[in-house]
Amino acid sequence: MSLRITCPHCGVRPLEEYLYGEVPVVPDDVVGDDARDLDRAFMRANTEGVIRERWFHAMGCRRWLWADRDTRTDEML
Amino acid sequence: MLERLEGLRIIANAQALDAAVWPNGSRVFRLAADDVFLLGDGEVHLDDPHAIVELETGFSGMSMEPAAALDWLESTCEWELPGQRPAFAQGAVAGLAVKLWFDETEVFVMTASALAAELEERMP
Amino acid sequence: MNEFIEAKVALQWQQPKAAYDVVIVGGGGHGLATAYYLATRHGITNVGVFERSYIGGGNSGRNTTVIRANYGIPEAVRFYQRSLELFASLEDETDRWIMHNQKGLLWMTHTEHGMRAEKARAAVNTAFGAKTRYVEPEEIKEICPQIDLSGGGKFPVLGASYHEEGATARHDRVVWALAEGAMHRGVHVHQRAPVTGLLRDGDRVTGIETPDGPVSAGVVVSAVGGHVTTLASMAGLRLPIRSHPLQAFVTNHYAQAFDAIAASTDLLFYMSQTARGEMLLGAEIDRQPSYSYRSGHHFLESCAHRAMTLFPFLRDLRILRQWTGICDMSPDYSPIMGKTGVDGFLVTTGWGTWGFKAIPVGGEQMAQLIATDKTPELIAPFSLDRFARDRTLADRGSAGTH
Repeated sequence: MSLRITCPHCGVRPLEEYLYGEVPVVPDDVVGDDARDLDRAFMRANTEGVIRERWFHAMGCRRWLWADRDTRTDEML
Repeated sequence: MLERLEGLRIIANAQALDAAVWPNGSRVFRLAADDVFLLGDGEVHLDDPHAIVELETGFSGMSMEPAAALDWLESTCEWELPGQRPAFAQGAVAGLAVKLWFDETEVFVMTASALAAELEERMP
Repeated sequence: MNEFIEAKVALQWQQPKAAYDVVIVGGGGHGLATAYYLATRHGITNVGVFERSYIGGGNSGRNTTVIRANYGIPEAVRFYQRSLELFASLEDETDRWIMHNQKGLLWMTHTEHGMRAEKARAAVNTAFGAKTRYVEPEEIKEICPQIDLSGGGKFPVLGASYHEEGATARHDRVVWALAEGAMHRGVHVHQRAPVTGLLRDGDRVTGIETPDGPVSAGVVVSAVGGHVTTLASMAGLRLPIRSHPLQAFVTNHYAQAFDAIAASTDLLFYMSQTARGEMLLGAEIDRQPSYSYRSGHHFLESCAHRAMTLFPFLRDLRILRQWTGICDMSPDYSPIMGKTGVDGFLVTTGWGTWGFKAIPVGGEQMAQLIATDKTPELIAPFSLDRFARDRTLADRGSAGTH
């Protein structure tokens, strides 16, 4: 069974209908313009746990949605 | 054969689309909250001064007999088809982005014209 | 019993000590190769390898075992060519049969710009020591008779770069040979030994925390696959790594010989035949970062469909097994090796989908760095600070997984 994501407009659809949208977060303790630019461009928390992310429903309404997912299990919350 | 469709593409705020009065006999595909594809003739009245209404020729579609269509859809869709009629649904069908209209007499199958030839190959 | 069970590998397990000169976190190919080359090349044997599960159970046991050096940039070609040579001599050196098998790798293209890219690949490979040449469709058919050059009418094969020294090896045998070689010389390898934290003295990393207590270390090396950002965060370090699942599968036995390794960057799959005769296929990474080993039907369907475009014989085979590994993807599709800016903490990571082929050279170079405290010239371009220095090594087109 594919991972399923609920689109508020189209309903429950398999992962393959969506494109992934990463939401990089630069932590507050990264200070200085250069350091924050570097962090934003490259560094990632790569969280093992629940993350907030965006998905684009490419094969449906073609709109972005927000979702929470546990990266350890791929469970959508 | 999927035929190129001529309709209207209407981008407007969701409330205006919810309240819109559509021409008699027209078919309204609600692609997103703020996005409609309309098949049918007549005037559209919208309560949104910023609405964009354009001729849309980017879709192709064809009508299928309901039983045959459902047979095909059930084997090529990974998601639940709507039970009520009439109904609009969109999603991956046979691996392609397809939009579907269901009513008592037909299932209307529609996709972006660029995908029409590929979709035909994947139809029964 | 199967055909792979041979003379028992003599692995002598020890109790963890309270201190090691070198602690390596992760008992996969890279961690064990680092230990092996520390012991064999530098006589450094007071080394503890800590593996949370069993050795080779992570990405070393989940990849498609292709060994190749046909990369697109000079730094990578030289690096992977060294690995290819070390792999070729590993059986003699360890006296273990790792089932190393030189097969030749065909990297097919179906577009004009792909032809230019493969011609450029052949040129840069030749210039920097790897044996790759551009071949026309007629020769592709000779090398690989099973191919449908018309690509089902949709993906005609216009040409390929042919990497003659492309090879495969049996993944767990590589891991065992390196573990055995290291342990014979006194290295400790600990299985079911998770690292739960890092010991720090100020900014310096001085050891690891384990469920059985702290272990101090002169230097801690992260050779972790899949969880490196979590480990690095314990040292206060952020890494340019995203962990993505990559799926693969094998079919049942194909009765004919399929000699080459076949890949298509346009169709995004790669395939070889295992020693058992199974066809082994992999494709692209999943788009979303994840630590889940979930496998999906969609991958099987799309990968099989693309592979059958070039190899119609696959239609008659059945899929036997599928599995998933977690790949640490770097932004420029090149590895990240060496010093980190945190004293006492080294990384070998960013192995994405190209880690197996780099096991010997990665271990050799990391061992040299540890032994000499100087970054070897071969891996200097792959240092973590390249991102801050604006010296990224973009080579996405050589990953074969994008």
